Amino acid sequence: MSLGLLLALLAWGTLVGLDLVSVPQMMIARPLVAGPIAGAMLGDVWTGLTLGVLFELFQYEVLPVGAARYPEYGPATVAAVSAAHAAAGTLGLGLGALVGLISGMAGGVSLHVVRRLNARAVRRATAALEAGDARVLVRLHTAAILRDAARAAVVTALGLGLALLARTYLAGTISARGVMLLDVAAVGSALAVGTAGTLRLVGRGPDLRWFAAGVVGGAAVAWLR
Amino acid sequence: MSAAPRARPAFGRSLLRLFTVQGSWNYERMQGVGMGVAEEPLLRDLRVAGNGAAYRAAVARGAHFFNAHPYLCGLAVGAAARAEHEGVPPEQVERLRTALCGPLGSLGDRLVWAGWLPFTSGLGLIGVALGLGFPAILGFLVVFNAGHVALRWWALRAGWTHGVRVAVALRQPVLQRATAVLGPAMAFVVGAALPLVAQYLSGGFLGWSRVALAAVAAGGFALLWWLRARLTGVRLGLALLAVATLAGWLWP
Amino acid sequence: MSIALYRIDDRLIHGQVVVGWGKPLNVGFIVLVDDAVRGSTWEQELYRMGVPAGIEVVFASTAEALACLPDWERDARVGLLVAGDIDTLAALAGDGRRVPRINLGGLHHRPGRSPRLRYVYLSDAEAAQLKALAARGVEITAQDVPTARPVPLEDFT
Repeated sequence: MSLGLLLALLAWGTLVGLDLVSVPQMMIARPLVAGPIAGAMLGDVWTGLTLGVLFELFQYEVLPVGAARYPEYGPATVAAVSAAHAAAGTLGLGLGALVGLISGMAGGVSLHVVRRLNARAVRRATAALEAGDARVLVRLHTAAILRDAARAAVVTALGLGLALLARTYLAGTISARGVMLLDVAAVGSALAVGTAGTLRLVGRGPDLRWFAAGVVGGAAVAWLR
Repeated sequence: MSAAPRARPAFGRSLLRLFTVQGSWNYERMQGVGMGVAEEPLLRDLRVAGNGAAYRAAVARGAHFFNAHPYLCGLAVGAAARAEHEGVPPEQVERLRTALCGPLGSLGDRLVWAGWLPFTSGLGLIGVALGLGFPAILGFLVVFNAGHVALRWWALRAGWTHGVRVAVALRQPVLQRATAVLGPAMAFVVGAALPLVAQYLSGGFLGWSRVALAAVAAGGFALLWWLRARLTGVRLGLALLAVATLAGWLWP
Repeated sequence: MSIALYRIDDRLIHGQVVVGWGKPLNVGFIVLVDDAVRGSTWEQELYRMGVPAGIEVVFASTAEALACLPDWERDARVGLLVAGDIDTLAALAGDGRRVPRINLGGLHHRPGRSPRLRYVYLSDAEAAQLKALAARGVEITAQDVPTARPVPLEDFT
């Protein structure tokens, strides 16, 4: 992979990470968007779409309400696509999922760290804020956005580094059957997480009937195709 | 003392800043600083009116603790700014902001996080599963953001229009109908997406691996359901991948 | 059924309550115990706007809640009771027999409070008050959303 391409992926992962919470929350952070665009950059749209769909299922578990802590799947999907593309034909989905899930966890931890750093910065500026100093207010806010951008860049870089390590040390050491087992684990867990997450969102009220009707309809379409 | 609100307040600037409202999210003031940044352009008239102290006090209040759904924060920004212009007593402005946190959070979470977002994302998933590829992704982004931007814009305008009587804005029939319809619509669309996505992702699995996939998905779902407070999706995924890696080495 | 969750949360009814807990518990009614909100019709109207039509919202003062608690416990629907401070739930709990469990869902930063968990800030007096409640037999855990791990009181006080 060329340095230019690596930098482009890093930039994309940073934008995606920034979009999740800070700016502008237009949902490029969703794996369904982050993955295919990373795939297009690598000239491998199929891998991008497939891992985008896979991580979008994981994303269904996340309900970003209040101060709840959750993994970050945007930059993780970019790293996953990079890993899976580099290992095309050998490890594919399973390797991508492994890299992506570890990066997703790291992303979640990094969000927590940045929120604590932001709290510390706010505490330091309390006197100026209470005096209604608009310049300090805007400066504090801008610095926090830059902090989040740096966080997103570090998480993406970590993910891309993991992808490099995985394809250097894992690819070729696992048998064809092992590859299939990894793929089964990746897709099976994504389907389980997506279903459980959706059911939590739907709840046990009247919407459950609509969910059941959707499953029947979707299954019928799948069967007819 | 109250300053007459300008006919055209700095909505554009405030709206742009609202797109960054969570940029300084922290555990102490949560969205407070971002709220203050977004409200500040709407408060500049107070300074122009020669009331620098009122401006600074309003800016300070605007940056106090706040947490609601980011897309609906504009409602509180607009309402608080209008109240400041109308000379509403400071403690009442604070009370208004506090009282808006919960309802705007709850309404926005139902409307967007548990409604519009999974609904449009579910449509995107169906599109990809049916082979539409990039147009499905683009469609998701365009449709989702049409609702997203409209909601942010409406919230800011409605907050400014109604001020302390902002509950009137939340009674909008369109808003009430949207929250009532989006729950079942989201459930149906994501329900339909799941089997189609399962088919899409399992295309490369044949023979024993297809049976294993069904077993892993069913077993994983059961584990997540029973151990909901202890087992997260990431942990389940990593555990299954670790077992698969080990099995792959032991069973070449 | 009865009240499935007694929650302390200074944001009262918000997304974590309605979507996070309300959906999986299939909540039929929410009791908001707050003396100030009980006396303010515009605030009640706001809180009602955030709750789906199928869920009843009951606004009560602490005194009213004490009187109505047995009725809510006998209600056929699943209920959720939320108060904004420790004092209110301490008054409801009494000797610990009326409120078996308390969920600490969110007490945020205020001068004099220090961080205990990312969503729980307590002053020393508040921490002591919670310990006293626990000594009366009330099981207290902190948990913002159902998918998070419940944290026992002794781990953060």
